[in-house]
Amino acid sequence: MRLPTLLIGICLIILIPVSGFSTTSRDQEPVHSVQADFVQEKHLQILNRPIISTGTFAFQGPGSLRWEYLTPIPSILLLHNGNIRKFVKKDGNLREDRGIGLDAMQLMLGEISNWLVGRFTDNDIFTTSFPDKQTIILKPRGKSLAGLISKIELKPSEQKGVLDSVTIFEGSDSYTRMTFSNTVINKNIPDALFTGK
Amino acid sequence: MKPHILLLSTILLLLTGCALERQGLLPELTPAAEMNKKSRCAAVFPVGKWQFVHAIDFTMGNGAGTGLIGVTSLNGNDIECALITVEGLTLFEAALSEDNDLKIRRSVPPFDNLRFAEGLMHDLQTLFLPPSAKHVKSGLTHGTNEVCRYIDSNGKVTDILPELDNCWQINIYNSNMTLNRSITGRSCKDQGAGRIPGYLELNSYGTNRYKLKMTLIRADKI
Repeated sequence: MRLPTLLIGICLIILIPVSGFSTTSRDQEPVHSVQADFVQEKHLQILNRPIISTGTFAFQGPGSLRWEYLTPIPSILLLHNGNIRKFVKKDGNLREDRGIGLDAMQLMLGEISNWLVGRFTDNDIFTTSFPDKQTIILKPRGKSLAGLISKIELKPSEQKGVLDSVTIFEGSDSYTRMTFSNTVINKNIPDALFTGK
Repeated sequence: MKPHILLLSTILLLLTGCALERQGLLPELTPAAEMNKKSRCAAVFPVGKWQFVHAIDFTMGNGAGTGLIGVTSLNGNDIECALITVEGLTLFEAALSEDNDLKIRRSVPPFDNLRFAEGLMHDLQTLFLPPSAKHVKSGLTHGTNEVCRYIDSNGKVTDILPELDNCWQINIYNSNMTLNRSITGRSCKDQGAGRIPGYLELNSYGTNRYKLKMTLIRADKI
């Protein structure tokens, strides 16, 4: 798996809140959009204390995403109508990063489509297990991805359709935990949010 | 071209993008009234155990580029470092001991390259550790800039300008007296015995030119 694919994947894994609970509640209104704030903690053996990042994301089906870091490095990833753009703040301005390929986005949107209908096991990239009602574990199938990520742990919230946290493990002492708050579901989001800085 | 080679090339391009300033020559050192230059030059380098987290900016000549988070831990002359994406993925992690024993703990393509690792650790040594040269002169360059000049046994010269634009600058010259690297600190803050820049810019000249911009996110005395 190419590195940009993985980076996009990490972003889009956060969209599992949309799907995580559709597996257990057929009578529940389908989730078509999610917005939330997040706090990201990066833990690493050499770090004296975790690196804290903050941001927001918005997702609207079938494939529109705005994934924005506010601190410490402002950046925005936009997916909309098959187009992907990324902006990173440099010298005080958000500048476009053209290093991400369309193929990566298409691959990950395919994954999201599966998650949206709760097909965790029908996945070419991850195996899925449910050790308890509060945990979903994704493990990479391929060696290349397994060399980067050992597993992903999803923690559902009590509120249907919402995740409390996603933890991406690289190794036993290296992981990234994203905790969500202020989640809003099924509010219509204007397209402009997915196309502009 | 294999994808990982292409990516490595991209990174090298990222590292070679911008800093195309004219390669300078070693300036003449003129005598100056005795001053406490050695301690002021020493204050350029952090002493003891520190951890720095920087936002690192690589920019290519066409304006494209990427942002990373860099972690540097110092324990005397031992250095540990990590490069992390904004999204939290660890791309590279390594340690370099005082006796130059390099241990790469994690390296994700295109960073899984020994040359890259050695170059990165060398840059960190240049940024955070004082020169090992024992032969030191002091004086002025260009008539006004106070300088500590370190000359090692191979003829490499390191000029430390402890007071430049309210921060400091380090210039490294090859044995042929041409400028090889320049590090400029800005927005310095006094922290303990050291002066920690809020912003660092490293320019590498010669055949392998690149520019690194590092904005301090935090500095922890451990």
